[in-house]
Amino acid sequence: MRKSLAAESADEIIQDRLAQVELWRCHQCGQCTAVCPSGRHGGIRVREVLERAATGNLDVAFDRDIWLCTMCNSCSERCQLGADPALVITLLRGSAAAKGNRPQHFLEEAKLFFSTGLSFPCTGMTKKLRKELKLPDLQMDERTLEEVKVIISRTRLGRIKYE
Amino acid sequence: MNDRYLLYAGCLIPTRLPFLERSSRFVLDKLEIEYEPFPDATCCVEPIGLRSLGYDTWLAVTARLLSIAEEDEKSILSLCNGCFMSLKEAEHLLRDDELRSRINEVIGPTGREYHGRAMVRHFLEVVGEQGEKRIRSLVSVPQERLKLALHPGCHLVRPSEVLRAEGRYTPQRLSEIASWTDAKVVDNEDWPQCCGGGLAGVEDAISLAILNESTARFKGSGANAILTPCPFCFVQFDIRQKEGLPALYLAELLSLSFGASAEEIGLKYHRTKFSI
Repeated sequence: MRKSLAAESADEIIQDRLAQVELWRCHQCGQCTAVCPSGRHGGIRVREVLERAATGNLDVAFDRDIWLCTMCNSCSERCQLGADPALVITLLRGSAAAKGNRPQHFLEEAKLFFSTGLSFPCTGMTKKLRKELKLPDLQMDERTLEEVKVIISRTRLGRIKYE
Repeated sequence: MNDRYLLYAGCLIPTRLPFLERSSRFVLDKLEIEYEPFPDATCCVEPIGLRSLGYDTWLAVTARLLSIAEEDEKSILSLCNGCFMSLKEAEHLLRDDELRSRINEVIGPTGREYHGRAMVRHFLEVVGEQGEKRIRSLVSVPQERLKLALHPGCHLVRPSEVLRAEGRYTPQRLSEIASWTDAKVVDNEDWPQCCGGGLAGVEDAISLAILNESTARFKGSGANAILTPCPFCFVQFDIRQKEGLPALYLAELLSLSFGASAEEIGLKYHRTKFSI
């Protein structure tokens, strides 16, 4: 299938952002790992992820570490060299997801977003609680949903394999 | 400054925690802050999972949301740290003319266009700038029985160069607002800690270990409740803690202080019962 112009343009945005990531800035000091809440409980090893990314030893199709980040941004806040580990991890995750490596939890969330425009389900309990609390019904109008679907279809979330 | 607002409640609050929307509206009404619900709102492409799956999707969806607020000439008022960071970081990046024009090309078929003039604010900022005098003048039920452990949440403060909800290394706003209700602050995080919510449903053991690290310290501080301005952190504390301290969302603390009954703001919907 031929890609649309918009799809190419959107992909370029990610490519440009990747180009802005300057992995050479990382001097392997380990500050990122020191402040990482996940790493100290057996989760992501941030310094090591940056090293592997910089040296071409990280295979996004299989890497598990990148999905053990809570996205708390502590590493990027603390990094004094501007390597921005949280952005590196975000972009690596995008490449990983495109190759089918992503947690089921996020895949389900993406499906829900695509079909409803929200990332949490609006359930019978939602309706009941909103009524009891005298809040207006939560309704997504057709046009809004259509707009979101158009945007998703022209960007990367629209090209994820949802099976 | 634009002080008319579009109330952006996000996804988590309106679907699962509508009682937090109720208390937020109660506070805004008491403060006579002018707002209306965000028209045609969708998820902000939350910054933990969805955004990393589709970075360009995030920029395009947020550009659409920012364009709606811009057209209405109102600021976006966020009730959630995640939405706040997602929208504000996008707003920051989309100040770049070239990036914005490319994203506008992507959202073009929707008929929307973003010109780079939206403002994004957090509930905590908007309440905080009301100032001590004004907040205290509305406190009819001082909360001195509360001994609070504070949890500002990551996405209120980081990345600090973008969010700028606080001009300080250690966030103080939450502590200041709590003290204006006469609640006692017994624990404030120097470096805003992660609640572990980002790994809930993905890697639950690590998520819980991170949560327990924070709550263990809270308990040691003598706190009888946890205060947070973030609904994601609230869920971690309220639902995933076992026999833990009750959690209060910032708008709930203010509502109680301003004379709301527990009934009208739906405190009974907390899983970890709040009965202090």
